[in-house]
Amino acid sequence: MAKVKLATVWLEACAGCHMSFLDIDDKIVGLLDKVDILYSPVVDAKEIPKVDVGVISGGLGNEEELHLAKKMREQCDILVAWGDCAVFGGINSMRNFMSCAEALQEGYVNTPSTVNPEGVIPGEDIPALLPKAVPIDYAVKVDVYVPGCPPDPETILWVFQELLEGRIPKVPTDMMRYD
Amino acid sequence: MKEITLTIDGKQCKGEHGDTILIVARKNDIYIPTLCYLEGLTPIGSCRMCVVEVENNSKLLTACTTPAKDGMVVHTQTETLFNYRKQMLELLFAGRNHFCMYCSQSGDCELQRLAIEHGMDHVRYPFLYSDFENDATHPDLQLDHNRCILCQRCIRVCAEKVGAHTLDLKDRGWNAKVTSDLGSKLGLSDTCVNCGACAQVCPTGTITIREFAYRGRRSDCDDVVESVCPLCAVGCKFSGYVRTGSIARVEGLGTEEHDGGQLCYKGRLELPRSTERDRIHVPMIREGAHYREASWEEALGLVAEQFSRATKKDNAGALVSSLCTDEELAVFSRFFRDAMGIKRLDTFDADLLRGFRDGFEPFRKQGVRPFTAAHNILESDCIVNLSANPDEEAPVIASYVRVGTLKNEASLVNISCRGNPFEGITDVDLRLKQPCGDAALLSELARTITSLKLAEDDIGKGTEALNDYRDALTKAAEFAGVEIDKLEKLIHCLMASKKPVFVLGRDVSTNPEGVTAAINLAIASGAFFDDGIGVVPLVSSGNSLGTINTVLADKAWLGKEDLDFLYVFSTGLIPEDEESLAAISRTRFVVVQSPYMAHPLVNMADVLLPAPAWYERSGHFCTIEGERRKLNVIVSPQGEIRSLSSVLGDVAKNLDVSLGKPEAAPCEQIYESHIAPNKAKMVELEEVSR
Repeated sequence: MAKVKLATVWLEACAGCHMSFLDIDDKIVGLLDKVDILYSPVVDAKEIPKVDVGVISGGLGNEEELHLAKKMREQCDILVAWGDCAVFGGINSMRNFMSCAEALQEGYVNTPSTVNPEGVIPGEDIPALLPKAVPIDYAVKVDVYVPGCPPDPETILWVFQELLEGRIPKVPTDMMRYD
Repeated sequence: MKEITLTIDGKQCKGEHGDTILIVARKNDIYIPTLCYLEGLTPIGSCRMCVVEVENNSKLLTACTTPAKDGMVVHTQTETLFNYRKQMLELLFAGRNHFCMYCSQSGDCELQRLAIEHGMDHVRYPFLYSDFENDATHPDLQLDHNRCILCQRCIRVCAEKVGAHTLDLKDRGWNAKVTSDLGSKLGLSDTCVNCGACAQVCPTGTITIREFAYRGRRSDCDDVVESVCPLCAVGCKFSGYVRTGSIARVEGLGTEEHDGGQLCYKGRLELPRSTERDRIHVPMIREGAHYREASWEEALGLVAEQFSRATKKDNAGALVSSLCTDEELAVFSRFFRDAMGIKRLDTFDADLLRGFRDGFEPFRKQGVRPFTAAHNILESDCIVNLSANPDEEAPVIASYVRVGTLKNEASLVNISCRGNPFEGITDVDLRLKQPCGDAALLSELARTITSLKLAEDDIGKGTEALNDYRDALTKAAEFAGVEIDKLEKLIHCLMASKKPVFVLGRDVSTNPEGVTAAINLAIASGAFFDDGIGVVPLVSSGNSLGTINTVLADKAWLGKEDLDFLYVFSTGLIPEDEESLAAISRTRFVVVQSPYMAHPLVNMADVLLPAPAWYERSGHFCTIEGERRKLNVIVSPQGEIRSLSSVLGDVAKNLDVSLGKPEAAPCEQIYESHIAPNKAKMVELEEVSR
C-alpha cells in the first residue's frame, strides 16, 4: 500500500503543537511506516507539494501566513487545524485590541527586552500584518479541528490513526482541551 | 406540600408543587446542564443552557425558571436541545475573549467544561474581539470583563447573600458589563466588603482572588479539608484546598446552605496569609537581649524548674487563647488547675467572655439557651443592633443584617452611642448620649414593652392602663437622651415584630448587667427562636463557650499583682490588648508558646516555645450559641513544633505529676437547656448602675 502523504505547517504560533507531535515519541517510527512527511518544519522542503493530509498549526496574522494557509488548502485533500491558534485564534488575538501600528510599536520598540534606540520598525522586510489575528477557518475550509494549547500527543496520534483508517475524526470529549 | 409527578426523559419523577422543572430533575438525578443557575440564588434563566422541551409547548423553556406542573412531559436531552446549547456556548465564546491558555481558572471553569461536554471543537461564529477591560483596582479581587458571560451569579450573591449590593449590570447587549456601585471601579467601591463571594460563585475566570490565582486547580489539589474559621464568634465552616503543603484556595460552603455559605474577607484570606507568616521553629531561651536555640528537653526542664518554684510561693499564672480547642483547654485546665492547683487561669478577651457568662447566668439557671444561631438573623422581621459594629467584629453577621433588612424586609434599629454601621437602611436610629450598653436604658425599654403589652391585654381599663407605659417611655427617653417620638417608633417596630433579634456589640457585652438587660429586652419583645432567645452576641473568639466552661477566671487577676511565673499560650491571631501585654511583661519569668515570630509577646518571653498554628491543629470549638464545630488539620505542622498537650505533658512529667486523660466537656451539656426559649422569664437586675 502506498504511503499517505503528509504536510504540516507552522503559522502564527509557538512551536508547541509540533513539539507535542514529537512527544508521541517512539510511535513516530510506526507512523512513518504508513506516512511520508513531505513538508514540515522538521523536513527540508521549500514548497508545499500535493499531499493527502495537510496540517496547520498557528493562526493567521500576516500576509505570508495567509498565503501559506491558502496554498496548503490547495495542495491537500483533508485539512487539519492543530491547536488553539489555528482553531480559535489563540494567544495571538491579544493584539486584536490595538491597531497594527500600535502592535508593531509595542513589539519592536516598547517591550522592555528590546534594544532599539532608533525605534526602527521593519517595513518591507517583514510580511504585512493582517488587521486582526484570526483562526485559519476565516480564510480556508477546515475538515478536522484539534483544539488544545497544545493538543495532547495522544490526541494528535489518534487523529492520524483515524485518518489512516479513512475516517474524518472528531475529537471526543475526553480528549478535548482548550489549554 | 402537594406532590406532583412529571415525566422527564421517560422517567416518572416526583416533585412538590412550587418546584421548578430543574429542581424536580435534580431531585430525581436527571442531569440538565446549567451555567447561571446556582442553588440558593434567585434563578434568572439568562444563560439558556438549561432549556428543555415540554410536550404540547412549542417553545424551549428554561428548566431553572419554569414551574413544574403535574403531568408535564419533559425532554432534556434531544438533539435539538444539544445543538441549541452548543450554539449558545459558541456565542458566548465568540462574544468575549475567552482564552483558556492564560486563564487562572482553566480546568475549574464551568464554561470550559460545558463547551467540552458539548464537543465544541471550534466556534462557527466570528469572534467580536471587543476590548473589555481588566479591572485590577481591588487589592484582593480581579475583575476581568473579557471572561464574563453575564450569568449574574456575582450580582445575585452580592445582593442576596452578602447584602452589599455592590455589583450590578450596566449597559446593554454585547456591551453589558458587571459594574460596582454607580459605575466605579471595584477597588474604589464604598460598599464592597471584600468577602470574595463573587469570586467563589463565578463560573469562569472573570472574578478571581489574587491570593488563589495559579496556585492550582481544584483537581490538582492533594486534599480538601473542611474546617471551621476561628476568627470570630460565628465560626463559619469552610473548605481549605491544599496543594503540596500550601493553601491553594479557601471556599465557603455553597449558597444553598441555610446560612448562605458565607465567609468574610478574614475567613477567606487569613488562612493562606497565616501560612506565610514567620514561624517559631525551635524552642528558644533568653540570654540577655537575645534568644538562643535550645532543645525541648532543656527548655521544658527550665520551665518546670521555674514553675515549680513559683507554685510553692503561690505566685504563678497561666493564660490561654480562647481560640484553642476544647481538647487543648481541657489539658490546660487539668494541668494548671487540677494537677498544680493554680487558681490564676484566664484567657485574653476575658472581659468580654465574663460579661456574657455573668450576664446569661440567670437564664442558664432557668434551663434555657440564651443565644440563637447567628444566621437566624435571616429569619427575623426586626433586627436591633445594640452598639455593635458587625462589619468589624463579625462581618458575616453584618451580611445577615443587611440581607435580613434589604431582602427579607425586616425593620432595622440601631441603638448606639457611636455611629450607625448600617447608615441608609435603618428604620430607627437612636444615638445615645450616655455610654453604649447601659443596662438602665435597656431595662426601661423592656419595661415599656411589657407595660404596653399588658395595657393591650387590659384595654377595658381605659387610658390608665397606659400610665405605666408612659412612665417607662419617659424614663427611657431621658436615659437615652432622645426624643419620645423617636423612641415610640422603636417601640412600634418591636411591638409589630413577631421575631425580633438583638445583635450585641462589645460595649454591651463587657458589662454583665448590660447582657442581662439586653436578654430581658429580648424576652419582653418576644424574641424567641427554636434554638434560643433572639440575641446574637459578638465575641471575638471561635471557642467562646468552651473557654467560658474551662479556663475563664471568676474575676480578672492579670495585672493586679506582679507574678513570678506566667505560661502564655497564644494563637497569634487576635492581638492581645495593651494592658494584658504590660502585665505580662512585668512578670519575672514568662513562657510563651506561640506559632508566630512577629508578635509583641515574643519579646517578653524568657522561654519561647513553638506552637502549631490554628490550621495545624484539630479538635472542637463550642460557639457561643452552643454548637459544637470540628476544627481539622489542614496542613501538618513541620519540624519541631509540638502541641500544647504534648508540651504540658512533658512539663508534668518533669514535675512528677500525672495528667491522666483529660476529656473535653461536650458543649451541649454546658447550657443544660431543657426548656423552650419562649418559656424564659425576665430577670430582676438587682442593682442597676447609673
